[in-house]
Amino acid sequence: MKTPLLEIEDLYAKVGDKEIIKGFNLTINEGEVHAIMGPNGAGKSTLSYILAGKDGYEVTSGSVKFKGKDLLAMSVEQRAREGLFLIMQYPVEIEGVATTTFLKHAQNAIRKHKDLPDLDTLAFVKSLRVEAKELGFDNEMLKRAVNVGFSGGEKKRLETLQMSILKPDFAILDEADSGLDIDALKVVSEGINSSMRDGKKAMLVITHYQRLLNYIIPDFVHVFANGKIVKSGNKDLALKLEETGYAEFIAK
Amino acid sequence: MPNLLQNKKLVASDNAWLENIRQQGFDAFVLPNTKVESFKYTKLFDLKADDFIMDSKIVVKEKKALPFDAYEIHFNNGVLDSDLSIFPKTIEVCPIIKNGIKQEVEDLLANLADYKKHPFVALNNAYLQEGVYIKVAKNTVVDKPIAIINHTSVGDENLFYNIHNLVVVENGAKAELVEYACYNGELKSRYFANIVSEIYVQDYANLTHYKIQDEAFKAIHIANNFINVEQNALYKNICLQKGANLARNEINAKLVAHQATAETNTIYKISGWATIDTTTNIEHLCPHTFSNTYVKGVVDGDARGVFQGKVHIAKNAIKTEGKQLHRALLLSNTAEVDCKPELEIFADDVKCAHGASSGELDANQLFYMRSRGIDEETARQILVEAFLNDIIYKIENVDIREWFMNYV
Repeated sequence: MKTPLLEIEDLYAKVGDKEIIKGFNLTINEGEVHAIMGPNGAGKSTLSYILAGKDGYEVTSGSVKFKGKDLLAMSVEQRAREGLFLIMQYPVEIEGVATTTFLKHAQNAIRKHKDLPDLDTLAFVKSLRVEAKELGFDNEMLKRAVNVGFSGGEKKRLETLQMSILKPDFAILDEADSGLDIDALKVVSEGINSSMRDGKKAMLVITHYQRLLNYIIPDFVHVFANGKIVKSGNKDLALKLEETGYAEFIAK
Repeated sequence: MPNLLQNKKLVASDNAWLENIRQQGFDAFVLPNTKVESFKYTKLFDLKADDFIMDSKIVVKEKKALPFDAYEIHFNNGVLDSDLSIFPKTIEVCPIIKNGIKQEVEDLLANLADYKKHPFVALNNAYLQEGVYIKVAKNTVVDKPIAIINHTSVGDENLFYNIHNLVVVENGAKAELVEYACYNGELKSRYFANIVSEIYVQDYANLTHYKIQDEAFKAIHIANNFINVEQNALYKNICLQKGANLARNEINAKLVAHQATAETNTIYKISGWATIDTTTNIEHLCPHTFSNTYVKGVVDGDARGVFQGKVHIAKNAIKTEGKQLHRALLLSNTAEVDCKPELEIFADDVKCAHGASSGELDANQLFYMRSRGIDEETARQILVEAFLNDIIYKIENVDIREWFMNYV
């Protein structure tokens, strides 16, 4: 019997007056990777923001459980501390905050939640350098302000670096491949796989294109259109979509 | 007649120069109302109180120490209370008035600070008594900061005191001056500290002037700084205004000879109902002079930040550069900022720029940090620090930088 990690039931949500999510259902069990594909404007990013708890999205009905707890009742930081991690399509630049400082605050917040003591700066920097090296991150980048002046590839690499440090149980990848060339895509996917594929952790991969799914291989693929899942299948569905496009789903 | 003067006149001095300054100040002082342009945004209502006293009955025993090594000059409740023998021979320090007045003090004091244009200079002159004269001798590089610590500890008395300092950094000398306005304990007093500083930075001299204003939350702090920057001299000011219910830090710098530079950087970080005013007036009176005025404010609660910045470029002052920038972060819906930048340019061939902006914390940045587990309060704190960091990192002295960091 598989243990469910994330259970979304009959979710409806709107932004302003516009209903974007209309009756969305999905259960993700431990160890599973689910991909959600769909046309622009289907509400894919909205779904990821609702799960992460961003302001400006109103859930009108339905429920989301994470590890059996009511996810929607949690604050943004509580969700992160419970083990949910969102790789953003456009990671945010934070002028004036050194990447190392930011990562240290984040890690200590998560450690505190797990009743672990704060890492002292030296120990933290040491462990950070090891993780960073694996992702091809040089130490200079860690001194720079968070995402400021980073290329698209560097931004995504920083997201994966955070993932490897914060060790979430569940990750949402929102267009994780946008802005990446093939080489960067490889490095980032390998980083994600090594953090997340341990048989227990799970992922929700939101993407336009099939190419990311060559590297992060999904167990299930869902087509998301008009605010809900309209078709589900295995990874072959992604390949088929690459050929046929989303036209038949939009029409409905 | 405003109560500030009703208290009393000082006992007449037999020094005609001093008596004249006091009398002129006494006659000239009028509490400015908001119709006075330079006080348009800063309401001085707190100064209308009728219960100011001029002599505190409280004897202050403890001294407020600084977290770094410095030549310390202590004022307690507006009265000099310090051993001035600690200074090396290259730094002359004495009270401005004691057993007579030095000729140099008579020559320089009240020259830069114009009581006719600055009402609080007039008020200060009316009670001219306390203050130090500091002279850093030619070509001296001072080994540690010279610190003036204005410490107020008055219980519930509404003490009103005046301090007038005179600083001369002679040709080629280099020094750091620290001013620290602080208080002791839980202080509900509406005390009023009225400070005037006149500073001469002579040819090729270099003075960095740090100030932390951390007065009690109901206090009133008004400081008028006048700086004369001479040939190839550099005056750098870094100020943090944090305390008081009503505060104004005014910086009037005159660049009087070629290659004179004035850099002024101010942070104000306020909350509650406070009004904190930063007023700068930089006068380029000679060609090839440079100034940069940079003010950053963080305003929370019902507080109000005021910035009035003027850059004046005289008719002959070609090839000068005058820059000014004010940025404010408003952390609440009721926080307010009033900003009045002014450029007065009477010369051609100059480079001038000014800018002002105010905004809130970036919601996307907050969300991003929180989505990594950082709680909202810490995230806000990190962003506020990041906003102020560029000024903090202008502080080259690491000890002083840390001291400022602990305050913001």
